[in-house]
Amino acid sequence: MRRRDVDEEIQSHLAMAVRDRIAAGEDPASAELAAIREFGNVTLTSEATKSVWRRGWEVVAADVWQDVCYAARLLRRSPMFSGVVVMVLGLGIGANATVFTLFKAIFLKPLPGVVAPADLQAIVARSSGGRTVGLSYPDYEYLRDHQHVFSNVTASGMSSFNLGIGNRAERVWGEMVTGNYFEMLGVRASLGRTLMPSDNVAPGQHPVAVITDGLWRRAFSADPAIVGQTIHINAHPLTVVGVLEPAFHGTVVSLVMDIFIPAMEQPVIAAAFRPVGTPQAPVGTGMLRQRNTQWVMVLGRPSPGVSLAQSAADVRVLAAQLAADNPTADFSQRAEVLPLWRSPYGAQTYLLPVVILLGVMGGVILLIVCANVANLVLARGLTRRGEIAVRTALGAARARVMRLLLIENVILAVPGALAGIVLARALLPLASFGSTPIAPMQVELDLSTDRLVTAYALALSCASAVVFGFVPAFRISRVNLADVMKDELSPRGAGRTRLRSALVVVQLAMSVLLLVGAALVLRSLNASRTANVGFDPNGVVSLSLDLKPNGYDEARGRVFYQQLLDNVRAMPRVEAATVAAYLPLTLVDGSSWSVTVEKYVRRKDEDLSFLYNIISPGYFETLRVGLVAGRVFDRRDDTAGPLVAIVNDTMAKRFWKTPEAALGQRIRVVNQWRTIVGVAKDLKYARVTESPRPYFYLPQAQQYFSNMTLQVRAGDSANDLIARLRPVVQAMDPNLPILEARPLSEQVRVALAGYELAAGTLIVFGVMAIGLAAIGLYGLVAYAVEQNRHELGICLALGASRADVLRRFLVRGLRLGTIGAAIGVLGAFATTRLMSSVLYGVSAADPRSFAFGVATVMTITVIASFLPAWRASRTDPVTALRRH
Amino acid sequence: MIRHKPEQQRFELLHGTLDMLVLRTLQWGPQHGYAIGNAIRAQSSEALQVETGSLYPALHRLEKLGCVKAEWGITEGNQRAKFYRLTPKGKKQLLREQEHWSDLVAAIGRVMNPEPAKE
Repeated sequence: MRRRDVDEEIQSHLAMAVRDRIAAGEDPASAELAAIREFGNVTLTSEATKSVWRRGWEVVAADVWQDVCYAARLLRRSPMFSGVVVMVLGLGIGANATVFTLFKAIFLKPLPGVVAPADLQAIVARSSGGRTVGLSYPDYEYLRDHQHVFSNVTASGMSSFNLGIGNRAERVWGEMVTGNYFEMLGVRASLGRTLMPSDNVAPGQHPVAVITDGLWRRAFSADPAIVGQTIHINAHPLTVVGVLEPAFHGTVVSLVMDIFIPAMEQPVIAAAFRPVGTPQAPVGTGMLRQRNTQWVMVLGRPSPGVSLAQSAADVRVLAAQLAADNPTADFSQRAEVLPLWRSPYGAQTYLLPVVILLGVMGGVILLIVCANVANLVLARGLTRRGEIAVRTALGAARARVMRLLLIENVILAVPGALAGIVLARALLPLASFGSTPIAPMQVELDLSTDRLVTAYALALSCASAVVFGFVPAFRISRVNLADVMKDELSPRGAGRTRLRSALVVVQLAMSVLLLVGAALVLRSLNASRTANVGFDPNGVVSLSLDLKPNGYDEARGRVFYQQLLDNVRAMPRVEAATVAAYLPLTLVDGSSWSVTVEKYVRRKDEDLSFLYNIISPGYFETLRVGLVAGRVFDRRDDTAGPLVAIVNDTMAKRFWKTPEAALGQRIRVVNQWRTIVGVAKDLKYARVTESPRPYFYLPQAQQYFSNMTLQVRAGDSANDLIARLRPVVQAMDPNLPILEARPLSEQVRVALAGYELAAGTLIVFGVMAIGLAAIGLYGLVAYAVEQNRHELGICLALGASRADVLRRFLVRGLRLGTIGAAIGVLGAFATTRLMSSVLYGVSAADPRSFAFGVATVMTITVIASFLPAWRASRTDPVTALRRH
Repeated sequence: MIRHKPEQQRFELLHGTLDMLVLRTLQWGPQHGYAIGNAIRAQSSEALQVETGSLYPALHRLEKLGCVKAEWGITEGNQRAKFYRLTPKGKKQLLREQEHWSDLVAAIGRVMNPEPAKE
């Protein structure tokens, strides 16, 4: 409106001027032209007048837009420079976007389908030994009813179930949840309904279930009439009341659940529901009334405005009241509140150190990239000194010139970020552990490069652009015309390369740091690959069975397992066979039992809960675990014989000083005193990198579990062996499902997945770093050669040898390389110590890794400076002199 | 911008005096831009030439500051034009600038024609 107004006003001005001229007797045609001539520049006047009405920011925005257009035009005219910057920037952003995607999947959006998952807090009990465990159901109820800090508190117990009846049954994973579970998570049903508070009233009165979208498609072919149908879980009929939204797969980070059942059904399902490591629960109220069975993980959503410290304080007070009101002998009742990412369940527990390491290394890469691009921008800036000097001379403020230069960089940042995302998409499948089934569960991380990742890449790219653009812009904008004109005449013009040298040194130093880090992780991976896991997984397969859902009571179950072992051992080429409750290398700690050691005075708050296994005779032979003292379990150790146990070396030494002294000593487990008859060598129970920990074994004949894995060692390949074993099981009971069958070596491979991820990524990072640093150094030396060509011509003409010239530039490069390597080594010494939590079998100051880092960087230095130096020595003095 | 100086002796407007001249011109009553330019030229006996490229931004600046108020109207020659009228605020501004100007002229005068110091 204002625009039209101004133009109209000018038109009326012209009209009056023309009329006056005609009135004064001028010819109408010439009067018009004269009026316009007298008026001056119509457009300019109109623009200047309109600009009076613009707000301050509008003026700046228009200016910036002008700069953007100009910069874009300029960059289009030097596609080489723009392309290289975008590519280099893309490398750095790609590396960081990859790490960020991992970070997002684990910490920012850990639970797909859940509303604001990162706000959730886990309430756990902390044993005096520092282990985190779940809560018992009564303790959960107490917390839920007395807390003041959460808008909602839910409990869920994770377990595997048999879905279906007989040998068509398949193992599914699920959670037994309280009625407010879905309400708190904000998860809805895509068919039917979710579980509601009305499903949480009386034990055994809620025979319903909701299933995930995944299970619905996998097991029920996405049957639209599924709601209302009856399914069998552990042989108990349940009615499906709903199918959940597709994204949701449970509240354990990265693990994929299939089914959700009301916690109130636990006593019914408990016919087979054995949360790992608990004695069988009596039917009736089941574990819902047992204060000493810590089977639920508790999640709370804090009320608005409640901090972690506040909720932790509230829960601490409640736990103390609980301990005073209902003291339990065996379990600690110290409760803690943790942010979800620190909850002891799920992928974050073992991926955290890796992601932190990768994050730091990504930062280092970005630093190298910034230094590299800053160098490019500086070099280009030198060729633009003339242009900038003219701008300054014409009155452009220095801030204005810097803004233009910065805008040029930011323009490159956007395609740089896009290149980075493309690279991240290519790199992410390398992190394929994301879909590796972490035995025996399905694992899923949301590794999509979504809007969050894109926003991160853009922000990071622009921030980098400002960082790498600022120093050069500051430098370049400082030129003045007189200097430039002088420099144009001097061959040594712009010869000051101190800033550029410093940037190259930074890149070389950071490369050393990265390479040393990569070497350390690689050596750790090698060490853990060849590490003595304490058992020999090769040639062993495991088959998982669960008898209870198929109607076996304890007596029939014992007979079945005994018969199975006899049959398997009778098979040709079978060397040894056993049944055991757990496989080694479980990755995440299984549950543990509290132990009383005879004649041992327990220190106050000492944690005497240890991991354990229930094994049949033949276990140590099958896994080839050596015995340190005493004997292994045999047929004597049955219900009729005296109660016995085997402990590991670490446990024997902890309580009785020597393995031999442990023999004949007694420990009390699950209210029964047992005599130690043997001491076995340690093995790796959860992780390859774990330090030695106490562990004990009970004979299966004296501690019945219905859910066991058959482990068999034979000469066949794993697949052949599994194929031979299946019929043996089916011949004994055609209705018994084999829940999982896999080679034990897979267990070891999965245990190393985190390392392989870190090592793979770091190798890629290391190659990037050294490549960038090499380009940077090469560019610098080549530039120095170019600047000194005239002088070189004189030197050569005066009789300097080509070797002299070669030496001169080689020394120049080597000096930078040496300084960079020295700084890098110092930096690495200072920082690799922080990596010790991810290192295994190698010291943080490992000389071989350091030597590798330094040697690689120095080799690259020699190559990158030799090439331009050699070219310099080939200079033809005549051509060089003629050029000036 | 390069200006073509006419033969006649003309002065470039001193920086900051245009606003004052415009306000002064409007003291005789509402006027449009063309007439304001002509009035300044006529009253300065053709000595002061007002650039339209400065006049219109100045008028709009004064309008934005609230010193003048603009309204479309019809001239005697039956031409639609935008008339500017002095506001009370503009009057005050004019007084201030006039005072400032006299002070400035007096000061320059003292420098250029120093009176002999009284002894």
